[in-house]
Amino acid sequence: MMNRREVLQHVAALMGGAISAPALMGVLSGCSPKKPEAGWKPEFLTREQGALISDVVDIMIPRTDTPGAVEIGVPAFIDKMLKDVYGPDDQKRFMDGLAAFTARAQSEFGQAWSKLSTADRTKLIQQVHDEALKAEHADDKPDRSSRRPFILMTKELTLLGFFTSEPGATQVQQYVAVPGALHACIPLSQAGNGKAWAPESTARF
Amino acid sequence: MNNDSYDAIVVGTGISGGWAAKELTEKGLKTLVLDRGRMVKHGEYPTATAAPWELPYGGRLTYEQQQRQLVQSRTGYTITQASKHWFVDDVDNPYVEEKRFDWMRGYQVGGRSITWGRQSYRWSPMDFESNAKDGVGVDWPIRYEDLAPWYDHVERFIGVSGALEGLPQLPDGQFLPPMEMNCVEQQFKTVLKEKFGRALTIGRTAHLTAPLSHNDSPQRATCQYRNMCIRGCPYGAYFSSNSSTLPSAERTGNMTLRPDSIVHEIVYDAKKGRASGVRVLDANTGEEFEFSAKIIFLCASTFGSTHIMLNSVSERFPEGFGNDSGELGCNIMDHHLSVGANARVEGFDDMYYFGRRPNGIYIPRYRNIGADKRDYLRGFGYQGGASRTNWTSLMGDTALGAELKEKAGKPGPWYIGLGGFGEMLPRHENRVTLDRSRKDKYGLPVLSFNAAIGENEFRMRKDMANDAAEMLEACGYRDVKPFDNEGGVGLGIHEMGTARMGKDPKTSVLNRWNQVHACQNVFVTDGSCMASSACQNPSLTYMALTARAVDHAVSELKRMNI
Repeated sequence: MMNRREVLQHVAALMGGAISAPALMGVLSGCSPKKPEAGWKPEFLTREQGALISDVVDIMIPRTDTPGAVEIGVPAFIDKMLKDVYGPDDQKRFMDGLAAFTARAQSEFGQAWSKLSTADRTKLIQQVHDEALKAEHADDKPDRSSRRPFILMTKELTLLGFFTSEPGATQVQQYVAVPGALHACIPLSQAGNGKAWAPESTARF
Repeated sequence: MNNDSYDAIVVGTGISGGWAAKELTEKGLKTLVLDRGRMVKHGEYPTATAAPWELPYGGRLTYEQQQRQLVQSRTGYTITQASKHWFVDDVDNPYVEEKRFDWMRGYQVGGRSITWGRQSYRWSPMDFESNAKDGVGVDWPIRYEDLAPWYDHVERFIGVSGALEGLPQLPDGQFLPPMEMNCVEQQFKTVLKEKFGRALTIGRTAHLTAPLSHNDSPQRATCQYRNMCIRGCPYGAYFSSNSSTLPSAERTGNMTLRPDSIVHEIVYDAKKGRASGVRVLDANTGEEFEFSAKIIFLCASTFGSTHIMLNSVSERFPEGFGNDSGELGCNIMDHHLSVGANARVEGFDDMYYFGRRPNGIYIPRYRNIGADKRDYLRGFGYQGGASRTNWTSLMGDTALGAELKEKAGKPGPWYIGLGGFGEMLPRHENRVTLDRSRKDKYGLPVLSFNAAIGENEFRMRKDMANDAAEMLEACGYRDVKPFDNEGGVGLGIHEMGTARMGKDPKTSVLNRWNQVHACQNVFVTDGSCMASSACQNPSLTYMALTARAVDHAVSELKRMNI
């Protein structure tokens, strides 16, 4: 498969070298979320909150035979999204929910989140998640995704950050930048390596 | 000839303006082409090759960015980090919504031809006859036969991929090979034919599925199936002004392209009874210019052209340029949409696809045709498609952890969706006016919209949801869910009608050649000229009308008639 520079050269060749210097620079310099993770300092969350988010994210998408969400920088991504992408109302809903989640850990298990075993954490996340999901599915008013509580906001951002990352797109799924052809009805076994195709872009989900 | 005088002026470089520029310059006219937006040369598409991980914020806008495009975001799919730069800043480009109105705009050279949906359908004989037959609006002053050769002309030049179907309500064209349907779509097509006698075809789309039949666009290569079209295509694989018509105009040596030029007035010469030129505001410097020409083509988009005409008042035209009829700004039409159904498809688990097809399937209109009679006029077509779900569907799944990852790695179940595009009738009261009390940052008065869909459209929408659900159920698909989300008029981004063509100057603004009835050296060939909306995507028709109007204009010019 062609690497990025080769793809660009290929494109430029097809166009008779018509890609302009500024356009090319913009593409080559990229503008991607920063690589993780060592020494990550949250900017929006406190250090303690950042640690909790890392714990939650790690349980939602752990390392298996492919990278997990923490090691590819999803906690930093979430912090950045909270800071730059979400407005005051969403930020407040997230922070209130985070506080309530922490309190619930304390009340259900009698100790702070940081002291809980992975099994207890997993149990709590699944429980809170399933309750929230049920409520969302019962919500038939428009734009329900814009009213998501803390746990589902965290899930949404974890999915977004992870599956649009290079490891998420190319190792967990498969991604071809320039397919070059369409084979619209073929056996799964002949569709690349048989994994799901990573979409080129995503609307709100 | 001095520097400010030309044979022709074209206002706008989108779908229609690009065509006017190409045809006029190829016929030898020295042509000034003006666009209010910045220059975009073919290839200058900053995000065109960005992988998902190269877009900041997972592709979403920052809060600050969102605040500047709240109206443009209403589509739900256009305003992302990959494509937001092709849509206007709503803060800098305000308008008034007496009723909700969704005005989607792209102010740059190429206009919305960079971001258009590329679906390219001919209108049928029925579509040009329906106003007369139903007594709605005004009769079209032309018929299908008048436009057919011009459809041929534009299809050959831009390249339209599609399948020949022989349907009277959706005439075939000069097609490049059709794109393929996936396994589920093929099955759906078969069942639809058997159980309903309805046709289903692959979308007819302005993509090169094979080389063009001419050598006039060496910058255009075939489709690479990336489905990143909305970012601009570095391969030039779909038609845009930037990739197609403007390079041709440029090569003639007859085009002077001036971006950042806001045309705000047509200058009327009362002595000669004709337009002498246009007044232009430089978007960067605020300087005023006046350019003159023998003929003027207004192709600034439906409301862009109407805005200029409403703002061009003189003793002769106190109510706006060419507005003797009082119809300028009236009869706003769009396609009403966001109504249909979707369903889950069982089976086909071992089937998939390769390549991201930038196209869907199309069910041509079948209502109110032949013996079919409904409790509303006209009809609708469906656009849709089938695909297997990806990770985004896991948002609603209880799986977390390793199970979630595993599910994300496997193609999800098949889903199929159909969304209707319905014809909207022209009604005088659906109108846009100039609000002289409010000004934009250039000091120009802003437009004010008052339009809504009516009883006919509401009745049609019931069919649009029910029929879709019925067809999906008949195929044995599961979890069939009809939907009907009424948005604002404009959300179809197929706005038209505000300077309609007609036979009678008392009830229309333009004649059968897109000439302003009352000022024959001004032509308007964008969507504003439409006397009805049909239910097909309209851009191909604008192209054909533009090429036809240029041909007429130049021959009239040669005969010294204008």
